[in-house]
Parts: sequence; C-alpha cells; structure tokens
Amino acid sequence: MSRLGIFVDRKTLSNSEQLSALIHCRDVAEGMGHNVEFLFPVDINKIPKMDALFIRARTDPMNITYVAARMADFHGIPVIDDSDSIQICGDKINMYSHLMKKNVSLPQTVFLSKNDLSVERVSELFDRMGTPLIVKEPSTSFSLRVEKVNDIAAFFRVARRFIKMSDWIVVQQYVESTYDWRVGVLGGRLLYACKYTIPSVTFKIQASVNGHIVYCGVESVPETAVPPHVIQLGIDAADAVGNGLYGVDIKNNNGDACVIEVNDNPSLESGEDTCYPHVYEQIIDHLFAA
Amino acid sequence: MNDRKGYTSQTDGGLQTESPIVAGPANPFSRPGMNRRAKIRETILAETHVRMETGGNHAHAHLVPKKEPVMTRDSLALVMRDHACHVIAEDYSYKTEAYYTILEHEQAGENICPSSRDVLDAFVVPICLERAKLTGIPVMEWGISQAYVPLPAILYGLNYFATASDFFVVQDNEQAKDVVKHITNKGKYPFCYQKLDDGATIHTCTAVFGQTVGSCTAVREFAEKIYELFSIPLVSMVFVKSANGIVLSSLAPTRYTHLTQKERALLAAYREDQEFL
Repeated sequence: MSRLGIFVDRKTLSNSEQLSALIHCRDVAEGMGHNVEFLFPVDINKIPKMDALFIRARTDPMNITYVAARMADFHGIPVIDDSDSIQICGDKINMYSHLMKKNVSLPQTVFLSKNDLSVERVSELFDRMGTPLIVKEPSTSFSLRVEKVNDIAAFFRVARRFIKMSDWIVVQQYVESTYDWRVGVLGGRLLYACKYTIPSVTFKIQASVNGHIVYCGVESVPETAVPPHVIQLGIDAADAVGNGLYGVDIKNNNGDACVIEVNDNPSLESGEDTCYPHVYEQIIDHLFAA
Repeated sequence: MNDRKGYTSQTDGGLQTESPIVAGPANPFSRPGMNRRAKIRETILAETHVRMETGGNHAHAHLVPKKEPVMTRDSLALVMRDHACHVIAEDYSYKTEAYYTILEHEQAGENICPSSRDVLDAFVVPICLERAKLTGIPVMEWGISQAYVPLPAILYGLNYFATASDFFVVQDNEQAKDVVKHITNKGKYPFCYQKLDDGATIHTCTAVFGQTVGSCTAVREFAEKIYELFSIPLVSMVFVKSANGIVLSSLAPTRYTHLTQKERALLAAYREDQEFL
C-alpha cells in the first residue's frame, strides 16, 4: 500500500469548503487503495517516509510549503506542487518571463525595477499601453496586491507601496471582462474548466469593497462548452511553467484570448470541478505514476 | 568567527576571524513589515542581551574601524570567472534586485552564479541544512514547531518577513514565549528550532567566494564546501560549537559595511579578477 501525504496548514483549514475538499481528497485516495496521512508543518520530517506528497496550502517560496516541496525533492518523492512550480508561479515576474519565453499570449506586460520608477517612464507606459494600467506586486495571490490606476499620481501611490515588498513590480495593460476562464491543467492535459464571474463592483476575482470581502462566482463548465482555443492556450501556458497541476486564468474577449496568470495549487473547493468528478483520481494517479 | 552568544570567549579554538563582533541578533536588511514590529523586537533583543551579558564576557560591537566599503550599499557587481557570471550582492533574498538580476540571466540561458534556486535554498534555514547535510556538511539537527521549543535553542522565523540574519537564542520558557510570539507573528507561522547542547557557543564567519580570513581549518573547509554547494560569493555562516564539534546552523546575507578590511580586500581582488594561487 502506497502512502500519500497531504500537506496542509492551519490557514488551509479556514472554512468548511476547504475541509470538505481535503476530506474528499483523502476518501478518494483511500478508495484507490492508498494510505493517506495529513501532514502539518510540524510533521515535515515525515515527508521522507511518504511515497507521494500533495501540498494543499497556500504556496510561496518563502513559506513552509516550499520547505515541504524541497524536502520531497531531496528524497526523490513525487510532489504536487513541485518546488519549481512554486518558485515560478509564486512570483509574477518569474511566471510572466516563462510565458513570454514560450510566446504565450499575454496582455502587454512590463517589469519595472524600483530604479526605473520615474515620471517619464510611467508616462511612456500609459502612452504605450493605454489607460487604465494594472499594477501588480509580484507575489500577490487572490488579487490582493493588484490595483487599477488611471493616472501617474495613482500609479506612484500604488507603486511606492508595492516597491516596499518587491524591488520589481509588474505593469500590465488592462483587459476588461465580466468573467475569467479558469483552465485546470495536469501533466499537460485538461483537468477541468470553469468560469470565474467577476463581481460588478470590482475588476478582481476577490476584493474588499467597503470593508466586505466580495468573491467571484464559480461555474464549472464541461469541456465541450469551452472554446477549444481557450483550452489550448491554458495547456500552452501550463506547459511553459512545468508538468504539474495548474489553474490558468484566461480572458477571452471577442475570441482574442490572453493569459492573466498561471496558478500553482489551484482552488478545488468552490465547485470548480463539479462537471469533472474524477479530478482527484487523476491527480493521485499522476502523482504515483511519476 | 564572531561570538554571537557573547558569554564564551573563543580565542582558544582558533575559531575567531577578524570579522566585527555583533552583539546579538541583528538584521541589516529591512524587510516588509519589519519596521512596525521593530519595537517588539527591540524589547526582546534588549532582554536577550542582558541575559547573555550576565553569563560572562561582554560582546563588543564593531571592533574594526569603519572604512570605505569595496561596494556601496545595495549595489550589485557582475564578475566573469571560470566561464560563469557571478553576482556579488549584499542581499540575494527573494524579490530583491539581486534575485531578479539572477532570474533575468537565467531566462536568457546564461551561466549565472548563484542560481535563483541556490539563493532560495540557502536562506531558508531547514532547506539549507537539509541540502548541506545531503552533501556531507555537518549541520544542526532541526525541527519545525508552532509553539514547542526544547531549551536552550536557536530559533529562526519561517515566513515572508523572516531572514536567516534574524536568529534568537532562548534559554528559558519565558524568553522562548516572547521570541516565539514575535517570530511567528502571534502564532500565524511555524518556525525552525535547533536544540543547543550544554555549553554550546554560536559563531559567525563571513565567506568571500568560499574563502575566509583568519579562520581555523575546520571553518575554512566549511566555507569551501558551502561555496561549492550554493555558489554564493558573499555569505555569512552561522555555526554552533559544542563538545561534538562545529556544525552549520544557517547561512545569512552580509552587509558590505560589516566586512573587515581584509575581507574587503579579498572581495576587491575577486572583483578585479585577480589570480589566486
């Protein structure tokens, strides 16, 4: 019997949906004949005893999930998310660099070093990419440090805040849409697809509006109802990052699709996989086949 | 080596280098969120220092007179040596100018040292120790905890705001409670602990391209192996010395201004691509 470790932390278990998804994952794995153990950060030294590791916690190269992924690497244990994917997807500069290198379709994107932050440079970016612009702190997740700016003064207000957290920031052309496609990809193949409907009060999938957190709507969509070029773009973007599990966000305006980002450790607790009942089986198969 | 614990003189074992002695944990790198917590940290540190100093010899800060550094604060240098481009920087941490410079060269397919993987590994303490251990470098035993600390111990934060430059030596439960509260941001994050043997002392030593100035053979060998493993031109090594020998505790960034005159000269020689025989 193979041992599967599911790496979690306290913050992963912050609501009932997340807990239900983890229990469902464990039940599926046990149904496939594996022994499953939930591993918390204090259990990190148990990783070498596992046959595969599935990380279900917010990943970042600076937190304990990266330690878990590297521990798996050191001991030759297959892992999702692997440390390369965490390093690339955790940093939008790194992630967009990989996508650009493979000519994956993106909104116009520029990296700005704190040393390049000048009125002339910012003014040139507005001229080139239009108004508004999107400014992103590279390690943002859940749209937390993503801002839309309409003029140079607003740009500097946001950029100065982000530069405190990162020496480089991302500046991107704004692409308007009412929903994003989320294409789930595993090992270079479509795993699931859904739509994230953006709340009318914001341009982000999650935002704080008047002190209240506003979440996007999630609608699982069967493969046959997803435009083929969106699926292909999702697969191409995921391939530019690695061979693991990714959730690719895509805007598809008038058939002109572009990738907004590639996420490692994509959410699976909000109904993303409703039309795809075998998502966990495929993930577990992929892990043990590695 | 620099006596970080403060209460044990280390002249007998030949461990000392001419590096400035730093009186307790100090982080030369301002990281996001650190300013607002500086007061809490200062309180903890002040208390830690008092306890250290009552144990014996007082630590002396900056014995070496300040001289013009070989490189200015936050500056980077790219040096071509052995068919590779070496990035010299004070701080290689994630999302710094140095980190993105490395990433840019990697994306261009160039041979760059250190790699972005190396710098991430080197400055996250458990990863650094695990990787070093696998190549035969003696390292401290470590564990991850959310609250429990075996005493006495060295503690390192494990989160976005932590750097290996910040380590804390805790001797009793009261002190441990305060430090854990600080480094976990009131229990939000886990931390790394390393149990200290009785009589163990903590030392730091700076390595410039894997070379040290005035250190003992054991430390010199550590520096060479660590450079072979991580290829970081400028790094501060933290060691623990006990009856069982010397072991690696962590690697941390180094400020140019903290280099001794001889270390600055060594760095300048590497920058100018001098031959070392």
